[in-house]
Amino acid sequence: MRSWKQRLVPYWLLGPGLLWLLFFFVVPMYFMGELALYSGSLTSGGFEFTWAWSNFPDALSGHTEQIWRSFFYAGTATLLCLLIGYPLAYAIAFRAGRYKTLLLFAVIAPFFTTYLIRTIAWKTILSDDSPVVSALQTLSLTPEGGRVLATSGAVIAGLTYNFLPFMILPLYANLERLDMRLIEAAKDLYSDSRIAFLKVTLPLTMPGIVAGVLLTFIPAFGDYVNAQLLGGTGQAMIGNVIQSLYLNQRNYPEAAALSFLMMALILAIVIVYIRFAGTEAFMGDEDEEGA
Amino acid sequence: MLSSERSDRRATAILAVLIAAVTLALGLAACGGGGAGGGNGGETTVAEAGKAEGELVFSNWPGYIDPGKNGTIAEFEDKTGIKVDYIEDINSNDSFFGKLQPQLEQGQSGGRSLFVVADYMAEQMHDLGYLQEIEKDDLPTVFENILPSLKSPEFDPERKFSVPWQGGMTGIWVDTSKAPEIKSVNDLFDPKYKGKVTMLDELRETPALVMLAEGVDPAEASADEWLAAIDKIKSAADSGQIRRFTGNDYTEDLTAGNIVAAIGWSGDASLIENPNAEWRMPTEGCVRWSENMVIPVGAPNTAAAIAFMNFVYRPEVAADITEWVEYISPVDGVKPILEKNGSELAESEIVFPSDEFTRNCTGQNTPPELDKVNEAWQNVLTG
Amino acid sequence: MSAPARAWAWLRRNALPIYAGLAVAYMLIPIAVIAVFSFGATPKDKLTFGLDNGFTTEYWRTMFSKPELNEALITSLRLALFATLIATAIGTAMAIALVRHRFRGKRLANLLIVIPMATPEVVIGASLLSMFIYYTFALGFTTLLIAHVMFSISFVVVVVRSRLIGFDRNIEEAAADLGAGPLTTFRTVTLPLLAPGVVSAALLAFALSIDDFVISNFNSGTTVTFPLYVYGVSLRGIPVQVNAIATLLFLLAVIAVGLVLFQQRRAEKMAAVQPEAEEGGPIPLPGTAAAQ
Repeated sequence: MRSWKQRLVPYWLLGPGLLWLLFFFVVPMYFMGELALYSGSLTSGGFEFTWAWSNFPDALSGHTEQIWRSFFYAGTATLLCLLIGYPLAYAIAFRAGRYKTLLLFAVIAPFFTTYLIRTIAWKTILSDDSPVVSALQTLSLTPEGGRVLATSGAVIAGLTYNFLPFMILPLYANLERLDMRLIEAAKDLYSDSRIAFLKVTLPLTMPGIVAGVLLTFIPAFGDYVNAQLLGGTGQAMIGNVIQSLYLNQRNYPEAAALSFLMMALILAIVIVYIRFAGTEAFMGDEDEEGA
Repeated sequence: MLSSERSDRRATAILAVLIAAVTLALGLAACGGGGAGGGNGGETTVAEAGKAEGELVFSNWPGYIDPGKNGTIAEFEDKTGIKVDYIEDINSNDSFFGKLQPQLEQGQSGGRSLFVVADYMAEQMHDLGYLQEIEKDDLPTVFENILPSLKSPEFDPERKFSVPWQGGMTGIWVDTSKAPEIKSVNDLFDPKYKGKVTMLDELRETPALVMLAEGVDPAEASADEWLAAIDKIKSAADSGQIRRFTGNDYTEDLTAGNIVAAIGWSGDASLIENPNAEWRMPTEGCVRWSENMVIPVGAPNTAAAIAFMNFVYRPEVAADITEWVEYISPVDGVKPILEKNGSELAESEIVFPSDEFTRNCTGQNTPPELDKVNEAWQNVLTG
Repeated sequence: MSAPARAWAWLRRNALPIYAGLAVAYMLIPIAVIAVFSFGATPKDKLTFGLDNGFTTEYWRTMFSKPELNEALITSLRLALFATLIATAIGTAMAIALVRHRFRGKRLANLLIVIPMATPEVVIGASLLSMFIYYTFALGFTTLLIAHVMFSISFVVVVVRSRLIGFDRNIEEAAADLGAGPLTTFRTVTLPLLAPGVVSAALLAFALSIDDFVISNFNSGTTVTFPLYVYGVSLRGIPVQVNAIATLLFLLAVIAVGLVLFQQRRAEKMAAVQPEAEEGGPIPLPGTAAAQ
């Protein structure tokens, strides 16, 4: 039987965080929700609370193209991040030895130079006259028009680059605590190291992959900086739309409605994904696992 | 296992209800404010003048004043003893407004006593009750030296709440080494420049220029004519004719050689590192605009703000600013000073445009049925 | 074996490290560009990413000559430091509670942690602002700190949790069997093993804070952080000093890591030289630094 004190421990541990999130996330969200049911505009006399449920379908129908596009861009970028990041995380966890910390820092260090400066640097590297683009042109790797900037490719490349650390860090945290002996045992059992990987390593690292994918896809989905700097006409993502609705059009009700829809969409994806990948992998309730 | 699941679910429900109750309580308390409204009623405060001292927090656009130890700010600080906190945090009228609006609605300015916004934004803010008015008697230097053409604009005929800061023209920047023949906004739609052209994201500038090129007067145009111009731009955007819509950053594309032409602002020469780039007045005319110093509600130090306004209207101070910023000064008497200093700017038609030069130009007009037109425009920008 | 076959075999064995090297190089390309262009002279002292005007060290020498830039930088660093400390502490505690303990309302807590990550930054920023205004909370460093901690907590929890899952409890039980109380076990066993996850999470939180633009833009009042400053000047010409500072920050981070590594290697050397010292100490656990 657990003592009273023992049973309170989780609540003490959770308390500060939950309270913080309650006051500084949930309550503002309530304000936002209320706003989504307003109608009117700043220039025509102000906003009023009118239970304007129509804001939701209106917001959705007006911007389906950008929503699909955001899915596509964020999805592709996440996939690329996984393909690039997993081997890198693996290498750092198992083959880096004493350079482990250094390499980890090399992954995080670009963050110290500011999102904007990094992206502008890419803008230069990918500009029409740069040697990089010329090289790509001779290799016939550029999309029509012969340029890289102001295309979907540039935006996806930017997203991939900027969110790579979000993928690598959780992967690394998970890989690092993997018991090498399990992997060696697998290698002994299966003659092909590829099968050993698929049957043993991959499933064991699933929690890290789930965390990495979610941490990458979700912010990428709502991003607007990459589209703004590296994209052109026709690359706007849903984040750009919300920013425009809120700041340029001052259409707060529609902005709020669209934001809620976005959040609902992402939550739906997360829930489906967790069902698919297994609740234990994400929720990590050890008691249910029966370690 | 079963019973703990059930109690777990029950506990979840209880917690959910608790959280909902708390937020509901807080939210209901907030029902009065928190949203956006139509201004604080009819009363407009008048800014108090008086002994200018203390600290002045001044928000402006980047690159709009000469910085450094010998700059205007330093000079002002020396002469008056007022400490100026100069913040370059305005990048677009709209986003600055969006950021400040909730505070202005509550009568706060976030600590600022002075900031600079475009004509139409000043008008909008004033209509919403976000600006303070200034007594004419408190601005002697301003009214003494202001250019006659700026003394009585439509949106503020008595200059009660706005004092011009700098002005400029929106036209076409052309890379003469690549496309020297571009002379009109219509040329930007020529397929041979596909993907090599950018346009500004300002509603009152880009569609207006397109309308001018079609022979329509933006000052008199109907909502349908605005929408038609926006449609034309939309097709060009969809087809890839227009590479992208920009803010100030068209200067980067010009420098990097990504484009051959852009709709842009007359004073941006210092930002374009391309010796072949040249600003041209479109054959059909330009958009002439100006930006204004305004004092918001809740300004902590209106006396200092007013003192600053008078200060920058002294011709010698204004000349310093113009020399650095290269935009059109609202102050009379700047040109002779620059001539005396032997500055080439004195001869520049961009900095001192003659009436002849700007004969076809229009101002920053707000379209009728603003919400509808603006929405159509934003849909083009975020397509 | 013939030479090409040997070369091929060598390649296969070292494919992973080679790939890692390439990947890291990819991550550092923009840094290289930024560094190189911090040395490019420009007539108007504005960044142009071009070396046509020659090489100069002027911008490095005058790196801290712009007071607004310095102020913004210091603000960002202070903010990131505090936000990281608070968020990591809170988040780690939450992760431990969520993974290790049985309690009521776990599902709800999980939901509450996930939702902020699913919210676009514009929304978080704008909604926070409305709330601060309503309660007439002065905007500035404090509101920024609150916002930064808020959006970091979720990330910390997710990272630490992924490390905690499948954590071998046997080691802790062994420590308990050996007579260690729960707090001692936590301090000497759990925490060191958890450390890489916590450090990862802290790094992430720090990076998120230093880099944040959107949310800061809404909640900063007149306080200017480094990203806000850069955005402000980027539209009208970035002073080249910004590039120099960005490179410097990067170098400082590298130096800090170098020091840590140096420390680590010295500790290892000393352990190798004095094997007797190991007997009294804790058993080196597989996978920790001590065992390498």
